[in-house]
Amino acid sequence: MAEVALERVAKRFGDVQAVAELSLTVGAGELLVLLGASGAGKTTTLRLVAGLERLDAGTVRIAGRDVSRAAPAERDVAFVFQQYSLYPHYSVYDNLAFPLRSPLRRMAEDAIRRRVGEIAETLRIAHKLDSRATQLSGGEMQRVAIGRALVREPACFLMDEPLSSLDAKLREDLRIELKRIQRELGATILYVTHDQIEAMTLGDRIGVLEAGRLIQVGTPRELYERPASVVVARRLGSPPINLLPAALVGQIVPAAATLGVRPEDIRIGTVGLPARVAAVEALGAETVVALDIAGTLLHALISGEADLVPGAGVHLELPRERLIAFDGAGRRVVGAESLPA
Amino acid sequence: MRIGPPAARVGRQVPLAGAGPARPALAGRLRARGLSDPLLAWLFIGPTILLLLAINIFPLLWTIWLSFTNYRANRPNETVEWVGLRNYQRILTSEDIWHTLQVTAHFVCWSIFFQVVIGLGLALLINRQFKGSGFWTTLILLPMMLSPAVVGTFWTYLFQPQAGIFNYIVNFFIGAGDFTMIGDVRLAPWAIVLVDTWMWAPYVMLICLAGLRSIPDYIYEAAEVDRAGPVRTFFSITLPMVLPFLMLAVLFRAIENFKMFDLVVELTSGGPGSTTEVASINLKREAFEKWRTGFSSAFAIILFVTVFGAANIYVKLLNRVKAR
Repeated sequence: MAEVALERVAKRFGDVQAVAELSLTVGAGELLVLLGASGAGKTTTLRLVAGLERLDAGTVRIAGRDVSRAAPAERDVAFVFQQYSLYPHYSVYDNLAFPLRSPLRRMAEDAIRRRVGEIAETLRIAHKLDSRATQLSGGEMQRVAIGRALVREPACFLMDEPLSSLDAKLREDLRIELKRIQRELGATILYVTHDQIEAMTLGDRIGVLEAGRLIQVGTPRELYERPASVVVARRLGSPPINLLPAALVGQIVPAAATLGVRPEDIRIGTVGLPARVAAVEALGAETVVALDIAGTLLHALISGEADLVPGAGVHLELPRERLIAFDGAGRRVVGAESLPA
Repeated sequence: MRIGPPAARVGRQVPLAGAGPARPALAGRLRARGLSDPLLAWLFIGPTILLLLAINIFPLLWTIWLSFTNYRANRPNETVEWVGLRNYQRILTSEDIWHTLQVTAHFVCWSIFFQVVIGLGLALLINRQFKGSGFWTTLILLPMMLSPAVVGTFWTYLFQPQAGIFNYIVNFFIGAGDFTMIGDVRLAPWAIVLVDTWMWAPYVMLICLAGLRSIPDYIYEAAEVDRAGPVRTFFSITLPMVLPFLMLAVLFRAIENFKMFDLVVELTSGGPGSTTEVASINLKREAFEKWRTGFSSAFAIILFVTVFGAANIYVKLLNRVKAR
């Protein structure tokens, strides 16, 4: 497995700057997730690495080799598409064997059979090898699509929302499986998603894209606890981070315009900011409480059941060391959490 | 096709559009007069069935009956004799008829071969969506929109032995000086193949284009990343996915060309000699020049059964290809 490096990559479609000045390195054996809203440039970035789109500017290096002008076939990458991009008139076996039968490879049919067998075993589709691609369920099709990428042992894998067309249960199963396979193979994967749970659970690191720009790269923990901006803060966490005007809490940090507090950090008690309970949603293991502070709605996440009724007056404690301060432009005020309380 | 009384619920499903209390719809008003649903259904489809019977079913049955007689349409007052299978026997042992069928087979096979190759080729080119591809598509489709009589007439001019530009151009390149297309026994069959291909290859292109446009881009992109070259991509993706469409085009063209008449009459009238006398021209001569109505009826039935049988087998094959 190899390292993938993008340097000041740019791509424009007509009037739309899809990707701008994007620099990013995916380490060998790393799973890096590109996270962003639709239209943020995630898929375009992936397609630029694959060579399915031509770069306007910048360079793409795979395993240290400049492949900016190389055709997709020369880049030794494998791509898993959002749609089940199987060859519909082929059996599962032939679909999996397709990349191995490339004339660039000249692999013996014996070796192909062994390799396809291994991968089918790993993805638990061995019993489906003789089925036609069109006879499979959605989950099976996407396994085959992932399998077709895995058989190749390419320099890196590019995955464009491979799980988004599956139902929730299957998505979870395949997510866990994908992570296991990635660890086993030590595969370099650039993975695109708009699903924050997928990003948090799969990614060794996450890159957040916004309007074609990479705004922050880091481990899931870093991004969650020290987001570079309001955009990143809002992208991760469910229920989402609470943002309230700094004036409401009192000037804790001089430059702060907005304060962010994660729902699980809010403590409901008898001292602190007065608030009113707006709604209580019991989820079993935890409870989401909607709170109204002078017209601003906050969500608090409490473990277990909460003894609250809508309309009740309560007091909130916002632990200072957990507050994230943002300036007027939405950027995080660095070092705010270390200020004395 | 099964023609039977439609299920009773058809009558009930008649939408009562605009059926307010003031002005009930036709079905509603008829029902109010005590007509039952099946009767209503028959009332609605009756005229169509009558029309079908009068202009399709009756002539077919009558032709079948005539094919067992010695009836001659130009002598309506003579007694008509039942001759059993003699007409069929005569046809199947007639060298003329076999020659005619050979000419038809040559025409059908080669014209379809060229139309498939050229039609698919054009479709692949046009599908690249270059600048002005819409204009070129329209231009290529023009021959198909002309009347066969018109096409036959102006190709006759192009093939004209003394002044025809086609012969002139060929002469210019091969330098023979006496080249002629439709006057030559060896070349005349190819002349009709050429004109039919010129006229109908665009049709095959159009249908193939529909097939090509139905293949999603990401399958090609997957193949590109999977390192399949253009040849492999064509044979493992494009061709299999376009095949059902191509087969449908072949079916339509084969049926049409099997009964080819107008274009050949305009171009060669079956000549020189009988080298381009396709089955339908022979049939027309037997029926309306020699007035052997019984004989030609039998020939028509044989042709009909052949096309019908072949088309049915072909459709089964097509369905199997589509099911893959």
